Amino acid sequence: MGKTKDELYSEMSDAVVNMEEELSAQLSNEAVESGYDAFEAIDLGLAKGMEQAGRLFDDGEYFVPELLMCADALNAGVEILKPYIKTERQEKKHKIVIGVIAGDTHDIGKNLVKLMLSSAGFDVIDLGRDVPPSVFVERAVQENAKIIMISSLMTTTMDGMADVINILNEKGIRNEFKVAIGGGPVSRRFADQIGADGYSSNANQAIKMANELVGR
Amino acid sequence: MPEIIFANEQKTLSVTNGTTVLEAARQLGIVLETPCNGMGTCGKCKIKIGSDYFLACQKNITENITVFTENKENENKTLQILSGGQSCSCQLKPFISKQFDGEKTVVYGGNSALGTESGDTSKSCYGITVDIGTTTLVVAIINLSSGKEIVSESRLNPQSTYAQDVLSRIHFASNHEGLNVLQNVLIDALNEMIGTLSEKAKISTKNIYEIVYSGNTAMLHLACGIDPKPLGQYPYLSQIHGGEYFTALKLNISPFGVIYLPPIISAFVGADITSGILASQLYEQKETILFIDIGTNGEMVLAKNGALAATSTAAGPAFEGMNITCGMRAGNGAVERFCINNDGSIDYQVIGGTRATGICGSGLLDITGELVRQGIIGKSGRFTSQKTIDGLREKDGKKVFFVTDDVYLTQNDVRQIQLAKGAVRSGIESLLMKMNLKKEEVNRIEIAGSFGYHLNEKSLLSIGLLPPEFEGKVTFVGNTAQSGGTAFLLNVDFRTKMLNVASEIQKIELANNENFEKIFVASLGF
Repeated sequence: MGKTKDELYSEMSDAVVNMEEELSAQLSNEAVESGYDAFEAIDLGLAKGMEQAGRLFDDGEYFVPELLMCADALNAGVEILKPYIKTERQEKKHKIVIGVIAGDTHDIGKNLVKLMLSSAGFDVIDLGRDVPPSVFVERAVQENAKIIMISSLMTTTMDGMADVINILNEKGIRNEFKVAIGGGPVSRRFADQIGADGYSSNANQAIKMANELVGR
Repeated sequence: MPEIIFANEQKTLSVTNGTTVLEAARQLGIVLETPCNGMGTCGKCKIKIGSDYFLACQKNITENITVFTENKENENKTLQILSGGQSCSCQLKPFISKQFDGEKTVVYGGNSALGTESGDTSKSCYGITVDIGTTTLVVAIINLSSGKEIVSESRLNPQSTYAQDVLSRIHFASNHEGLNVLQNVLIDALNEMIGTLSEKAKISTKNIYEIVYSGNTAMLHLACGIDPKPLGQYPYLSQIHGGEYFTALKLNISPFGVIYLPPIISAFVGADITSGILASQLYEQKETILFIDIGTNGEMVLAKNGALAATSTAAGPAFEGMNITCGMRAGNGAVERFCINNDGSIDYQVIGGTRATGICGSGLLDITGELVRQGIIGKSGRFTSQKTIDGLREKDGKKVFFVTDDVYLTQNDVRQIQLAKGAVRSGIESLLMKMNLKKEEVNRIEIAGSFGYHLNEKSLLSIGLLPPEFEGKVTFVGNTAQSGGTAFLLNVDFRTKMLNVASEIQKIELANNENFEKIFVASLGF
């Protein structure tokens, strides 16, 4: 077809930004047929598109629905490419445990953050909602996670976030994990008050924050 | 100890070093807007020291300072609070009755004697309805012999000084001390209002025998001194169920006066909605009716041939003008109406007829609705580049719509409105699904609440808070929490009736609906 590899990757990226699920799948098939490295096609093609979508979100150009549709397009491509990733190229992903704090069942924001982090190459383990502070710690230890991420939409449940940090301190394992928090009523100031390592006000910023926390 | 002077309020306080200006203001009872509860994120508690501006919640007092607040002293006078609402006709049969036996007058509550008064006082028999809103209080004195409202007054709920939104207030009252503070400031305010109102009506507070508390569930917990903590934690359970009486000893009425609490539907659907159901007689209508109270929490009831389902959605404070760059409450200076004419010129209306200083909820919905209608804001909520209009200019590199040179709407503001209207719309969609109804099957939409009263149907449809199928079916029914509360006061039979109605309402918790996220996301667009 006379399309160079770079041109194909760039089209894949555009398909994600433009929320074109079918096109993304079709171009990913093309990448497989052309014998390109699947890991590279995700990294330099699809994921680049998602990065761009995140920037548009930051600029106010895109909103939640657009971001979700971009993610759908990304995942349509990833599904096709995944089986072709050579095992030696599967780099070890940083693990994050994420959940909504005990007492709170509002999880739309958390789900969006999870989606963005997964698309940015993190291995995200979702603990769900109404998660007791002790469970955050147990699961983080079990999974050998790098970051514990806690979300809350209700002022009335925010104190539970501090409890997670207290438990880590009591167990003497505070230094083994980074703790990051977010959600409607949460602020940078509150994060500082409870001694959290990271705070993000939206889903796209969460990627940047997570990268900084793991030193990427 | 450094001293702080609030110049406009002419109040002074000595504080320990490091106290914030906000804390000092709260101690003095000075109201500063704090929708973010002192987190330093919303910017609404701006104050002036010298020629510099600071956030009161972030500014520590380390030396003697003089602070200028935005002048709020007239807010209670100019704030638009609606006290009347649609009501049902009812036979006069109050809980309280009086009988003169030739010597003394016996006061009855139902069939039991509450107390006696010397002489013949049977002609003087009054009751009060109170709508305890998160933001506003409305108190009305009703003549129980004639059924007529004599006087009424509204003002800001003084609890907002301590914590502005419902959840912050629940949080504040989660310990004994906080609960006491909030209950006491409320009772002080009610007593003050009862005092001025009875003076105005030329009646004695001793002749007021019953108070009906209408309000949302959290406010009723605080008013009755009941721990609200469980309301703020899943599974969000109310500690009181209403349909009950409390003594009114702390209130400045007859020593044997009582408080009646109408039935409460759930943690987030309170007695104010029960009052609304009563005022609208939803349980008796043959039609399909959607009743919505639009506010920080959008509470709604769907009635299909008398069967009712209720839910509430977290719309957030955007409709009160909070979390919006130029947002403000509906007081003097707020743009409350806005429209774009066919020739592209704009018209707007400012409360008090003054220079525009901000935008209140109804103005926000009008501006957004008109910009959507004109295609300046696209379906996805973004300022498009295809169409332009006077006022659409760049500010700090981003597109902004200027109503005046100082008052404008940003892209982020539009996003906040999308979240708020998306929450209400997804609540509507969920209720319709639950009752197996199509949108076109709804015969009437009743919008209640003081905020709702200032909205117009066109804007609600343009922004998609309501679906297009509702066009021409919207009525604004006013403060039904108040009018329904009065109905409870005037006819005791409603109390047993509504206890049944409330217990039979299907209560829907949106968080437990697996499809809610999909519905919510689909409801965000215009």
